[in-house]
Amino acid sequence: MLLLLPLMLRPSLCCPLTSPLLSRFIRTLPSSSIQGLRFQAELFLQRRPPSHLQTRSRSRKSGGLDEEWRRRNKTVLMYIAAAGVGMICLSYAAVPLYRLYCQATGLGGTAVAEHNTDLVETMKPVKERIIKVAFNADTHASIQWNFKPQQTEILVVPGETALAFYKAKNSTDKPIIGISTYNVVPFEAGQYFNKIQCFCFEEQRLNPHEEVDMPVFFYIDPEFDEDPRMARVDTITLSYTFFEAKDGQKLPLPGYSYN
Amino acid sequence: MSTAMNFGSKAFKPRAPDKGSFPLDHFGECKAFKETFMKCLRENSFDNSRCRLQSKNYLECRMDNQLMAKEPLEKLGFRDLMDPPPSPEARGSKP
Repeated sequence: MLLLLPLMLRPSLCCPLTSPLLSRFIRTLPSSSIQGLRFQAELFLQRRPPSHLQTRSRSRKSGGLDEEWRRRNKTVLMYIAAAGVGMICLSYAAVPLYRLYCQATGLGGTAVAEHNTDLVETMKPVKERIIKVAFNADTHASIQWNFKPQQTEILVVPGETALAFYKAKNSTDKPIIGISTYNVVPFEAGQYFNKIQCFCFEEQRLNPHEEVDMPVFFYIDPEFDEDPRMARVDTITLSYTFFEAKDGQKLPLPGYSYN
Repeated sequence: MSTAMNFGSKAFKPRAPDKGSFPLDHFGECKAFKETFMKCLRENSFDNSRCRLQSKNYLECRMDNQLMAKEPLEKLGFRDLMDPPPSPEARGSKP
């Protein structure tokens, strides 16, 4: 009896429904019929509600219950499997859907570039707002170019086009092809930073011991002055990084146009 | 570089330049103009607004030496530096 007690207590702790049964068991303790105890113990261990059972043998009712549970389990499993497959399909479908959404709303930055070509002609410089543009140059470890800006910073105003120079020197004995990308910090100012022409995203070939000037022709959108988030931004840093390009490799232009 | 921790603000997206890439000036044909421009910048404490004439000259040199697609200078934002010329002459070929 003492050995059975812990077995009794554990299921009763997990399943509060069995506690009245446990109290009944305790009441029947003095009458200690071993068969009755064993029966109660099996009830707890199997966790079946005892009101459904009169005998331990399988009745048609319990068989029907088993089948119903099995059927319910199967439908639940089907639903879960369908949800899982649905999620996988959705994740694949999300890529073209998101692309369509971005093209429609212009959130991916694609629509911003459309109106720029006319803006350069008509924009008026905001002379009161002076912004310092700092220049930074980096090279990837594998490219043996000396790449640096020719001016550390320049003062511009929004709405005015500006020119800046970088210098690259190939001091090795073989031609090296480089390709570059750029970055603008702070990130939110990057959307106002428009480059009319520069040297990025296309292969640039430098012959042995050659040194070239690389210009960047850019302007800052006059709407920069009206953006409240940019009110405290006085310095924009333009950073170029050169990587070595393998022959014939072409970097895809950033954006969603895959034409 | 946009780090993974920058979830709140929009991540930086590099955009292609409007008119593409400058061909490299391998022969230094416009180096003199560049030097003038850099000298002007150094004298004017790197204020771009005061050196716009020199930058316009540099770009014109590029256009003359096939290092840049010819364009009317108004399209490059130099409207204020232009004398009012007769328009058919100033218009070059579109890129």
